[in-house]
Amino acid sequence: MASSATTGNPMPPSLSMPPSQFARLQPHAYLRAHLSPPSSDQPSVRANGRATSQFRVTSVNTGSLTHANGSAVVRIGDTTAVCGVRAELLHTSDISSWGVSQAPSKQNPTNTNEAKDSKSEDEDDQGQIQDLNLLVPNLSLSTGCAPGLTPGAPPSALAQSLSHQILSLLHTTNLVRADDLRIWYQPPNFDSEEFHNPGEGMEVDTEQSGGPEREIKAFWVLYIDIMILSMAGNAFDAAWASVLAALRDTKLPNAWWDDDNETILCSDDFAEAHRLTLRGLPIASSFCCFEGDAAAGWRANVIPDAEEQKKKKGSQQKWILADPDGYEEGLTQERACVVVDKENGKTIIVKMEKHGGWNVDSDDLRKLVDVSSQRWDDLKQALEQC
Amino acid sequence: MADRRRINGPPAGTRPPVYASLKESKTGVSERTLRQRQPTELRKFYLKTGMIPTASGSSYLEFAPSAALAAARSNPKSLIPPSSALKVACTVHGPKPLPRSVPFSPNLLLTTHVKFAPFAARKRKGHVRDTTERDLGVHLETALRGAIIAERWPKSGLDITLTIVEAEDDRWWGDAPDSHDASWGMLNVLAGCITAASAAIADAHIDCLDLVSGGVAALVSDDASTAPRLVLDVDPAEHRSIQSACVVAYMPARDEITELWLKGDSSRAALEKSDGRTGHEALIDGAVDAARGANTILTDAVRESIARSFAQV
Amino acid sequence: MSNQRQASSASQVPHLSPAELSYLYTSLSLPKNPIRPDGRSPTQFRPLSAETNILPGTNGSARIGFADGTQAIVGVKASVEKTILAADTLDSRSLAQHGDALNREGEEGSAAVSGQGEWVQMSIEIPGYRDDDALPVFLGEMMRESLVGSVAGGSEEVKEMAGGLKGRLVINKRWHWRLYIDVLLLSQPLAYPLPLLSLTTHLALLSTKLPKLKSTGEEDPFFDDDWAVAEYLYPRSNKQSSPSDAPTYPVRPPVTLLVIAVGENVIFDPNREEIAVADAVLAISITRSSDSENMKLLSIRSIDPPSRLTQPGIPNSENVNMLGGPPASSNQSGGQEEVGGVWRPRRGGVQRSVITRMIKTVLQKGGVGEEVIQGLEGVKVE
Repeated sequence: MASSATTGNPMPPSLSMPPSQFARLQPHAYLRAHLSPPSSDQPSVRANGRATSQFRVTSVNTGSLTHANGSAVVRIGDTTAVCGVRAELLHTSDISSWGVSQAPSKQNPTNTNEAKDSKSEDEDDQGQIQDLNLLVPNLSLSTGCAPGLTPGAPPSALAQSLSHQILSLLHTTNLVRADDLRIWYQPPNFDSEEFHNPGEGMEVDTEQSGGPEREIKAFWVLYIDIMILSMAGNAFDAAWASVLAALRDTKLPNAWWDDDNETILCSDDFAEAHRLTLRGLPIASSFCCFEGDAAAGWRANVIPDAEEQKKKKGSQQKWILADPDGYEEGLTQERACVVVDKENGKTIIVKMEKHGGWNVDSDDLRKLVDVSSQRWDDLKQALEQC
Repeated sequence: MADRRRINGPPAGTRPPVYASLKESKTGVSERTLRQRQPTELRKFYLKTGMIPTASGSSYLEFAPSAALAAARSNPKSLIPPSSALKVACTVHGPKPLPRSVPFSPNLLLTTHVKFAPFAARKRKGHVRDTTERDLGVHLETALRGAIIAERWPKSGLDITLTIVEAEDDRWWGDAPDSHDASWGMLNVLAGCITAASAAIADAHIDCLDLVSGGVAALVSDDASTAPRLVLDVDPAEHRSIQSACVVAYMPARDEITELWLKGDSSRAALEKSDGRTGHEALIDGAVDAARGANTILTDAVRESIARSFAQV
Repeated sequence: MSNQRQASSASQVPHLSPAELSYLYTSLSLPKNPIRPDGRSPTQFRPLSAETNILPGTNGSARIGFADGTQAIVGVKASVEKTILAADTLDSRSLAQHGDALNREGEEGSAAVSGQGEWVQMSIEIPGYRDDDALPVFLGEMMRESLVGSVAGGSEEVKEMAGGLKGRLVINKRWHWRLYIDVLLLSQPLAYPLPLLSLTTHLALLSTKLPKLKSTGEEDPFFDDDWAVAEYLYPRSNKQSSPSDAPTYPVRPPVTLLVIAVGENVIFDPNREEIAVADAVLAISITRSSDSENMKLLSIRSIDPPSRLTQPGIPNSENVNMLGGPPASSNQSGGQEEVGGVWRPRRGGVQRSVITRMIKTVLQKGGVGEEVIQGLEGVKVE
């Protein structure tokens, strides 16, 4: 409960019980009392002492897990997410549809690479990562991170939804390049001696000019596992930030096809390992909208002149709160999530999502993008410091 | 069968990477680093309570990385970590009323739950609890139930969840499993779990007889000629072969053991002539000494937890 | 998933009143001379009937029934499986070794491949429990641990068992046996079922036969289909004086004994009521040491004594009915002090001295362990 930070704030004189009890008994009224400024020129302050568009202190720590190829711990306030990336190999011989579906497209990157612009290469990437399930994010909430979540039970609806949100965001942002995950093999050119043999020269010449085709022997599959160790609201931002930081930290060993053992071998040499080259730095910012009157939306539909009555009163009816904590999340229905990236100082909206209510309008969303782009600067700094 | 509630990888499954010959590699990590500590010297560990404010009590325990691991971290040469350092997060929820379906209990019922993170060990773990994780849960429950004064909370339950973020190795990674091979790392994990859970229970203000802490001792043989010798707080990665090991949960104030798990052949221990003890007695005594050592750190962590809760009031 | 299921011992709490518990405890803790409800001596086991090879479809099987009607059946099945190198030790050195093994086909005396503990699989079915509940998992791990953990000392007559059971399962470098041990308890457990399951498993393993290998060296294995020449998993000694004698085994599977401490007394094979008042419960796995006649300790696990979950008794001084008014001390949790004859759930653990005494009773020469093993040796396994 985020009640301890509130003792310094002014309380209405009618209140005769300690604020922590009031917060539990009348949470909605408590938060509204906090947000309603005593005078109109003062900014609203939330129950946890933050301003409405203020995010919690975020810390990022990477590379602390021994057995992961990349790892990160992200703490946003009291929410803690640990992400570990493990790379394993998927041999193309294990892919049942490989020979059939990939045979024509396999030649595309090698033969017509120059002819294609980068955009279509992206699409090719996207297809392979998505079709072959090369990115496998799973988020676990069954760590005792919050009282309601029973450990040992199958993933809750929330955990499933967060896992899928992360997966779809990984796919739509094209964050990971498929080429980083491919392991190529150039078969030795046995034909070269025979090429000089005049008897068979004709046949070989018609078939190939440059020896056997370079082929993909295997893919790296990245298992991205996120454990939410502590859940105090806004799990998605923390989870996504931890995925991003862990992927930035991920090192893949240098791997090659070994023809003698007919398997992929890796070098354990740290210097030969390569990092992933990620596309951009999409950062998620989540918001919730607190309604001063819980039934306002409902009333607007049922009682036609309710809105005018409210306007006469002149009090603010909604507050958009950035980075909600667990207490605030429990009191709000309407959520918004904006994922932005910046390129040359220009903000790009990667994803925008809003659901659960009617209160956030287009002007508000525009403001949220501004807040999110500020957040991008802050989090980028945190990510680069570690 | 694919688990529809999780995101599954490629249907054909994937293989862990195979590293090329280490004899030829320039990284020079193919040597086992032997134990530098004295036989009775324990590893340092970090224990902090109250890191997870949404739980009634919580703790986080982390072993200090071994010298080899610390060197590999600061100056990485090889991608294969030489050893690992235990990291455990523990949360306690409750006491809370039992669900209606559960019959009346005059005592506080414990539910212990140990889960490894998929990236905790060298071999990737599954998302569903396997038998070792369930087995650890039972051991932990036995260890804790002896310490808790359960009759003060009739009709209540206490959920204790431990997440192993990083586990201990069962042997040095370069060794093939030999005939004395067993999951020795589990004993270290259990000892860490006991200490962490004890701190979290104290942090949740559950009445206990004493702070119960875990300790491990083992009989190790580093070469085949000498008889196995006793070491406390064994790191399996530092020894050629472990003959026998023991973990206890120990309450120093009452000099009582609430959980004992001993395995392996302890009959050939190298003890001094004057020592009248048999191998298993020496092993249990060693584990108790290790638990005493852990208890000092545990006491400090709990003192800090109490100071914090007084500061809030 | 109810909480009750999770607890390993909670399900074992019998519905005894605090008065009954107190009476039991007092009689069991009488110094030197405990009185057990069924009149046994502290080290006496319950009578049982045993038979082996009851299931023709298995490699080995056994059934044991206690006089109280609880029965267990164990079936052992073996299958041939290709050896896969452990994934976490994979580097090309092991690949190279693997390759060497293939090249040196037929060469005798190459370094022995040691078995893996995973090759022994154990599943326990207890009525009223799901197979992933805590109790079956705990019991299964406990028995499997001592099975795969027992490594015979270097005596020459049992070359096959040099690497313990898991070493016995090695066929050659590329093939091995996988052993499936399925334990079935036929009735609701009346007591902690460990001794019954352990003894039945012991007999089933003794009766287990593996078909005789006809291939040699590193070939793909093929076997003699004549069941009469099949070899025992635990080899028998040929030195039989007469066919009527029970065969002798140089190496026997381990036995897990359930031992409880009540007060100063150490009591074996406790029944349901006795275990309910125990101060400490230990499961001790032993086997006969191959190089000497002594008993050898393989593993110890402490088991949560059910007495910690029992209902406390209320002394007369606090009883409302006796005083005819509200109790003098309303602080219920304050009743720390022991009142004679009033049951208190056990708290805390065990002293080291108690544990030592329990182990000693099992291991000492002429002790209970030896007695049990001798008793089992008397069982003729067909």
